[in-house]
Amino acid sequence: MKEGISVMQHNSVARIVPPDKRDRLWRDIKRAKYLYIMIAPIVVYLIVFKYLPMGGIVIAFKDFKLGRGILGSEWVGLKNFHELFRSPDFKLILRNSIMLNVYLVVFTFPIPVILALLLNELRAPRFKRVIQSILYLPHFLSWVVLSGILIAMLSPSSGVVNRIIMFLGGEPIYFMADKTWWVITFVASSVWKEAGWGTIIFLAAISGIDMEQYEAARIDGANRFQQVWHITLPAILPTVSIMLILRMGSMMDVGFEHVYTLQNSYVRSVSDVFSVYVFRIGIERLRFSYTSAIGLFQSVVNLIILLGTNFLAKKVSETSLF
Amino acid sequence: MSSLSKRRKIQQSTGERIFDVANVIFLSLFAFAALYPFLNTIANSLSSNRAILAGEVYLWPIEINIEAYNQIWMDPYLFKAMRNTVVLTVFGTIINMTATILAAYPLSRPQFPGKKVIMVMITITMFFGGGLIPTFVLMNTLGLMNKYSGLWILSLFSTYNMIVMRTFFQSLPAELEESAAIEGANDIVILVKIMLPLSMPVLATLTLFYAVGWWNSYMGPLLYISDPEKVTLMLKLRQLLWAAQTALQQINEEGLMNKPRVTEEAFKAAAVLVSTIPIILVYPFLQKYFVKGVMVGALKG
Repeated sequence: MKEGISVMQHNSVARIVPPDKRDRLWRDIKRAKYLYIMIAPIVVYLIVFKYLPMGGIVIAFKDFKLGRGILGSEWVGLKNFHELFRSPDFKLILRNSIMLNVYLVVFTFPIPVILALLLNELRAPRFKRVIQSILYLPHFLSWVVLSGILIAMLSPSSGVVNRIIMFLGGEPIYFMADKTWWVITFVASSVWKEAGWGTIIFLAAISGIDMEQYEAARIDGANRFQQVWHITLPAILPTVSIMLILRMGSMMDVGFEHVYTLQNSYVRSVSDVFSVYVFRIGIERLRFSYTSAIGLFQSVVNLIILLGTNFLAKKVSETSLF
Repeated sequence: MSSLSKRRKIQQSTGERIFDVANVIFLSLFAFAALYPFLNTIANSLSSNRAILAGEVYLWPIEINIEAYNQIWMDPYLFKAMRNTVVLTVFGTIINMTATILAAYPLSRPQFPGKKVIMVMITITMFFGGGLIPTFVLMNTLGLMNKYSGLWILSLFSTYNMIVMRTFFQSLPAELEESAAIEGANDIVILVKIMLPLSMPVLATLTLFYAVGWWNSYMGPLLYISDPEKVTLMLKLRQLLWAAQTALQQINEEGLMNKPRVTEEAFKAAAVLVSTIPIILVYPFLQKYFVKGVMVGALKG
């Protein structure tokens, strides 16, 4: 501790001596030479694997051929976009992406908030831990595994869900082949995988609340519902809105693995979304330019929605991303 | 403490007590619903194919046997896929951790000219990217197709995990490294001798996160790995399950629903379970650390 103080004094003395700002910067740069060596590969990586592909977006404006390379391919202006906006596929995937995302936000966004509030009200710590362990587990498994389990369970002939429906006197449901039921399954599977995990961030926000607030509220005669409503909920509201803003930044994205592993040919018309479509048309049929145009459209719309939500949030409340 | 809770209990109204009971029941049911698919799969993997197809298996195995696990043990393809995935996971995780530390440490130093520029560069990539196709073309141009090294380089580190690491480094007392610097230690020595030994819990958390990510990775291998020699576990598992589903579709379409199917249900269930075993094994460790890890990131983000 003593040593630490003397070091700090030493530093502050050293900082007073060089009056020139540029000298100090030069000294910092020289002193940081190992830091530059460490971060150099990271910067190279960012440029090559993150920024170069951003430049690669130009292929959306070209007639890209793998053999010719990006520079050698012909410019075609907005032809790919014209083709895209006229295509019936585009309307379908745009509609599906928006539809599935709206369902996901409406049904799966509030659930972790509610679950976190309920978990926080549990009295027995051990019971709480067990419930949390179970709810977090699906987050760590891949969609290949979860979809595999779901498809087996929902099978009309041997799946346990339909067995129970039939036992109760109902008709078996073709969950994977019926369009409405597929969408319901899709949303429910998202709840299964991420609802528990999503509570962590809200529980963290709750754990930061000063316990004295509850004490004071109790003395004032507030019951537990009033405490939740007037203390817990307002305390996690900033976190909720940040999460919501972030979520808005991906309103055009529907997780590729999630859709791809659950999808089948019967439900294409409700389940084809940007990522899956780009994969099928772009990678499998090698239509690189056309699908790059889709990718660019998707990123730009995402960015606009993110900035728009952020702007609105700033106006309405104090919380915003930037 | 006990007198406090007793007093609280007295203050509780009937409504609150009813709520407590309802809450416990609701959360128990919710957790059971989340767990049940796994229990059903375990039961299936240990049941006879006949019992599964007849829909007799709910919670425990019917006509119990371990034939499915024997088959998996004998299956050379599944075994190879698993070995490949271990290689992918181990090296991928080592590379990720190295890169995460190399990025996080300099960015955590208060006097590091250029820190802001690099942080902005990284933040932009969180909200905007080239997209699937330009990245695919790049990988193709660089000759990284069909190579695990391509997958490793492409996902060198996760920005989110890097920020968690950086936040942790920043939280360590500055005096420690300042005194080391006085004694002539350079940044590499400070990082290796002082910072890393103090960061074990975070290092453990991030290692587990990365390892689970590699083990579960599906889209990357699907896009970039087509060599059957290099097939990964999730690719193999998906093939296996998908073949079964298409077979089922054909059977449904041809109206032959009651005929016995070619793919063994129990085998599928066992394959799903075997592919999750490593995750179940590390899950207790994950649980111990991840809440902290996420909280560090959450408070900063």
